[in-house]
Amino acid sequence: MELTTIELTKQYGSKTAVNHLNIALSNGVYGLLGANGAGKTTLMRLLCAIQTPTSGKIILNGKSIVGLGEKYRSLLGYLPQHFGYYPDFAALDFLLYVAALKGLNEKTAKRKSEDLLESVGLSAESNHKIRTFSGGMKQRLGIAQAMLNDPHILILDEPTAGLDPKERVRFRNLISAFSKDRIVILSTHIVSDVEFIAEKIIMMKSGQIIHFGKPHEITSEIDGQVWECSVPTNRAEQYTATLNISNLRNEENGCTVLRVIAEDTPIANAVKVQPNLEDLYLFYFKGENDR
Amino acid sequence: MSKLIRFELRKIFTTRLTQIALIAVLLLSVLFSFSTYQNKYAFDGVSNEGTGRTAVEIDKSMAAKYEGILTDEKVQQMMSDLVPKSDSHGLNAIYIYRNAMQSAVAARFSDINGNWNGLSVSDVFGKEEIKIGYVDGWLSTSQNIAKVFFILSLVIIIMIAPVFSAEYGGVDNIILTSKYGKTKCATAKVIAGIFAVLMVTAFVAVINILIGFLLYGSKGLDCSILFAPLSFVEGYIPFNITCGTLLKYQIILAFTSAISVAGFTLILSAVCKNQMVALVASATVHVLPIMLPVAETSTLFRFIVLLPLYHSQFLSIMSVEQINGGMLYAIWAIPSALAFLMIGCIASRKAFAKHQVS
Ligand SMILES: Nc1ncnc2c1ncn2[C@@H]1O[C@H](COP(=O)(O)OP(=O)(O)OP(=O)(O)O)[C@@H](O)[C@H]1O
Ligand SMILES: [Mg+2]
Repeated sequence: MELTTIELTKQYGSKTAVNHLNIALSNGVYGLLGANGAGKTTLMRLLCAIQTPTSGKIILNGKSIVGLGEKYRSLLGYLPQHFGYYPDFAALDFLLYVAALKGLNEKTAKRKSEDLLESVGLSAESNHKIRTFSGGMKQRLGIAQAMLNDPHILILDEPTAGLDPKERVRFRNLISAFSKDRIVILSTHIVSDVEFIAEKIIMMKSGQIIHFGKPHEITSEIDGQVWECSVPTNRAEQYTATLNISNLRNEENGCTVLRVIAEDTPIANAVKVQPNLEDLYLFYFKGENDR
Repeated sequence: MSKLIRFELRKIFTTRLTQIALIAVLLLSVLFSFSTYQNKYAFDGVSNEGTGRTAVEIDKSMAAKYEGILTDEKVQQMMSDLVPKSDSHGLNAIYIYRNAMQSAVAARFSDINGNWNGLSVSDVFGKEEIKIGYVDGWLSTSQNIAKVFFILSLVIIIMIAPVFSAEYGGVDNIILTSKYGKTKCATAKVIAGIFAVLMVTAFVAVINILIGFLLYGSKGLDCSILFAPLSFVEGYIPFNITCGTLLKYQIILAFTSAISVAGFTLILSAVCKNQMVALVASATVHVLPIMLPVAETSTLFRFIVLLPLYHSQFLSIMSVEQINGGMLYAIWAIPSALAFLMIGCIASRKAFAKHQVS
């Protein structure tokens, strides 16, 4: 399965949210990283055909998805960043409704819905009304809904938002097990969520892809530019104001260990360390956003 | 498909506002009917006088005396039996109300002093054969039904406006990316919407007709609407149809109104950003034609009355003309409503499928 975008562009008035974007995705898990407003959600909506591109197109196995219609959507699973639900529906009812929309027959719908509620840890609440759910529970219901039709293309927009650490781990395991022979794209701001499960990282900025590759490949870009150094805690604040700090950890002896991204030695006693994705993310976004 | 339709029906009928609106229309039906009934007044000219049930009984027994085809002899008899000549205190005898039969004969055949105005039955009604009897009860019912059906058309807007637009609160993301979201789901919404509208209209019509039977019985349904108390003479439908026919037309018009309203509300539901906008827009589109300054004599009026607002307000559309075989112009409401519905179905499905999620 190969999903390709050709010169994909989406403009809102004068704002270009996705800008002449070209990418070819084959089976695998893709982590989509980018600052607020980088265009992640817009890209995903375009891929889901719920927004029409201003120009450019999306091709699945050589055919435009516009022409594929139902055939394309039957391969699709989507978790929106923000979504609505019917407050008076029970969780199971909601899944049965989505299953009907996805064309599952009654028996399969029931079985898949129950299985997925189990997978996301909601089976005990399956008959509770959604209005009684916490944010994280709704999010997990959203994940379950996206996977009902065993989608070959699974698009998850910030799936781990609102999940507690235990649920994040459960989610990662769910996706790892599910992703074989499928295209899974997930966006996130929590780099550690994708660091281990994503085979490829897509880094977006201002509607364009600035990096695309395996996690260790793309971090090699900043090899030698990540440092750790120890400074007195009372002066740490002063450093955070001037340096690009990716992490900071207070030690017991009144010192703070800073992880700094910089081309040259930022502070006298700094030592080079292995860069990770978060460092790369900060290297590119330095706390800014695109809005 | 049937599963999707059931889900859509469930969404329609579990909406709080819809439930409240439906209860309100039922309560109003009962309220209008019973208050009209309670306010009925009749005096038999001798000793018997009363309101409510007593009044209806007096009117019915007076009507029983003169039942049948209206003749010049009957007119004379009624004039002398019923129309007061002495106690008019300077009031035009036509406007004195004692009971339904007296008012009916006075309205057509009395001068201001309560004497015969010299007109014969054929002077007033031409060649028409006028069957007279107790029509007051059903004519009042008919007036109440018009109010109820107008309220019902607003209830239908409340029911249908959210059909598509409520999804734009965020479920559209999920629906429109699912296999059948842009196709069968949109169709299911349209079907469920129309089905719900037809069910509710039928239910409200049945309730109101039942209340009519309960209060007034079946008497008068086969009598002409033309020989009626004064309030039903001026500006009323000028054709010799029976009360039963009148009610049949009104019920047909209730349905045509309902499906026409459903038609354009579906479109607005699919194109408006949210349900509140859809609701207000639909209500405005529905009620606005009342402001149109079109004279009843203008040819444009014939088209304007085909708008659903005028279906429930049956007087205008039913007064346009009588076409062959006793059929009224109002029958054109049927093709017009079907057109509204067809356009509504097609356009709303298209708009929903094209909806841009944001
Ligand atoms: N419906 C819209 N109308 C106008 N502008 C929009 C619309 N949707 C998005 N944008 C703009 O497009 C740009 C990209 O937005 P998008 O939601 O795709 O970003 P994102 O990467 O998903 O951000 P976040 O991390 O905050 O979710 C932003 O500048 C946003 O303001
Ligand atoms: Mg987003």
